Amino acid sequence: MIVISADQLSKKFTVIRREKGLKGALSSLIHPEKITVNAVDNVSFKIEKGEIVGFIGPNGAGKSTTVKMMTGILHPTSGSVEINGLSPFKDRKKVVRELGVVFGQRTQLYWDLRLGESFELLKRIYQISDSMYKANMKQMDEVLGINEFIHIPVRQLSLGQRMRGELAAAMLHSPPVLFLDEPTIGLDVEGKHSIRKFIREINQRYGTTVILTTHDLDDVEQLCSRLIVINHGRIVEDGPLQDIAERMAPYRFLVLEIASPGIGIRHSLADTVRQNGNQVWLRFRKSEISASRLISDLCYSYPVLDLKIKEPDIEDMIRELYKLNDKTGSGVCN
Amino acid sequence: MDKLRYYLSVASYSMKLSMKKQLEYPMEIISCFAMIPMMYATGILLLYFLTQNLKSIGGWTFPQLAFLYGIGDLSHGIMVVFSVQNWFLDRYVNRGEFDRMLLRPLNVFFQFSVSYVNIIGIMDVLVGLSVFIYSCVLVKFSWTFSNIVRLVVIILGAALIRSSIFTIFCSVAFWTKRCSAVTALMNDMLERTTLYPMTIYPRLLQLMLTLIIPVAFISFFSSCCFLGIDSSFRLPADAAVMTPAIGIITFILAQAVFNWGLRNYESSGS
Ligand SMILES: Nc1ncnc2c1ncn2[C@@H]1O[C@H](COP(=O)(O)OP(=O)(O)OP(=O)(O)O)[C@@H](O)[C@H]1O
Ligand SMILES: [Mg+2]
Repeated sequence: MIVISADQLSKKFTVIRREKGLKGALSSLIHPEKITVNAVDNVSFKIEKGEIVGFIGPNGAGKSTTVKMMTGILHPTSGSVEINGLSPFKDRKKVVRELGVVFGQRTQLYWDLRLGESFELLKRIYQISDSMYKANMKQMDEVLGINEFIHIPVRQLSLGQRMRGELAAAMLHSPPVLFLDEPTIGLDVEGKHSIRKFIREINQRYGTTVILTTHDLDDVEQLCSRLIVINHGRIVEDGPLQDIAERMAPYRFLVLEIASPGIGIRHSLADTVRQNGNQVWLRFRKSEISASRLISDLCYSYPVLDLKIKEPDIEDMIRELYKLNDKTGSGVCN
Repeated sequence: MDKLRYYLSVASYSMKLSMKKQLEYPMEIISCFAMIPMMYATGILLLYFLTQNLKSIGGWTFPQLAFLYGIGDLSHGIMVVFSVQNWFLDRYVNRGEFDRMLLRPLNVFFQFSVSYVNIIGIMDVLVGLSVFIYSCVLVKFSWTFSNIVRLVVIILGAALIRSSIFTIFCSVAFWTKRCSAVTALMNDMLERTTLYPMTIYPRLLQLMLTLIIPVAFISFFSSCCFLGIDSSFRLPADAAVMTPAIGIITFILAQAVFNWGLRNYESSGS
């Protein structure tokens, strides 16, 4: 079942370039130099129920803007987006009832209020029954440990505590779709772990569809069954992480340590890319030969002492992907 | 009915939280409390001294002027308590505050309206009330039941007109990202037009203040009605009907302008 579908979604912002100094200020008052930013540019995708989809892309790629359009905060300049067949603009109230949203960079909680007071207000807004509220709060406490700091004003919470509070607030009305814009930003290892665990758990238990944006590739590796890479407002890759890795970095490396440096190592399905002293690097394609086959072939013919397999580095791959796109497109035009 | 109860429950809790928030910083409230009475005291004193020398302003005697001033002041106070957030609409826009409201399954204008109750404004109400009661004594206001009812609906209607005028004009912040100049201008305009009788202004301006920006309904027509002064306008009904009616019309208009602006809302970066 398709939960979210975006079709040729675009968002343009018009910004006025301000010049420096008084003279600049005056001249931009008389004829302001308007720049159009194509924050999101013809983006289309479909998301199935129960998927955990990761949006990644460099700063300013258009991830948050896409999330804001999906959640009805921003109106698209063109194109359309539907959640369960409804437009978040025309049927805003109906649609947002089904959504939970967290913006890691900006709180949805009430800064000066105690966390629990924010929850109370949400309880009224979403008309959550007392029994439901109690059950949900109990569960939030089990997974996120929020009772520890529920009586503390939000502005006094640590970032990790606040983020757990944000998640609890977003899930209080048990929405079937959850949007998380950088939910792990600035968190320590433990904080990230507990957030990831929470996401996995609600996804498994309730089949919640999760859309998350992140700069942390561990989030993607550990959570996302599917990855959408966006750069300059356009989708550059869409698919399971493995598939993208296969396409972008199809090679793996086998590093051998051999008994004596003089031996030339050859295999018909692998390239010897480097050999210094006792260490030999062989590059091979997953699709052509399995690692075990290659190892057994080589061990049979050569005096191999030790070996290790190197997977392609995802971070390098992503960096390549961002760079690749920089040459072809530009998000800003006059 | 259920819907009404729902809206009331959200509104009351939201307003309660807003007040709690302010009480966490009591010093600010106390210092503002001290300022406000001074401002109004100087206003009414000015009227007193002017009438001492001129006998009347625009044909109005001091007690009559005080009555007009009282209605103007009291309705201003009520507006300041419940809808002062209009003045700062640009902050809501620039800080992306509407993001949160847009994510809730509830009318955004409603959420905005109940998002703030200004405790400091209670002082405005108290001062307005004292000026008004004082003026009632001066004009020998007859406290009959029907007069009291008329008074209450007029003052509420007047507060609604004030609040709607601010909503309409401050909504410009959705386009320009600023509204502090508009707020200052409107405050100035409202003070000049509601605390003095309109008859001191040229006829054309009076017409504009009746038909275009209906400030004349805030205190001028209401006072004329109670004091039996000829306003030189023929109103289709008593001020007790007209003022709330105009209040409701401007309120509906204000909501439409706000929603129109909201469509231009662009959140904020990051
Ligand atoms: N309210 C706005 N007004 C003008 N321009 C905006 C606005 N919001 C975003 N932009 C611009 O749109 C582009 C995309 O921004 P967006 O916030 O979607 O990026 P992002 O992928 O979320 O980046 P990050 O990883 O830094 O959060 C940027 O060039 C940004 O400057
Ligand atoms: Mg972002």
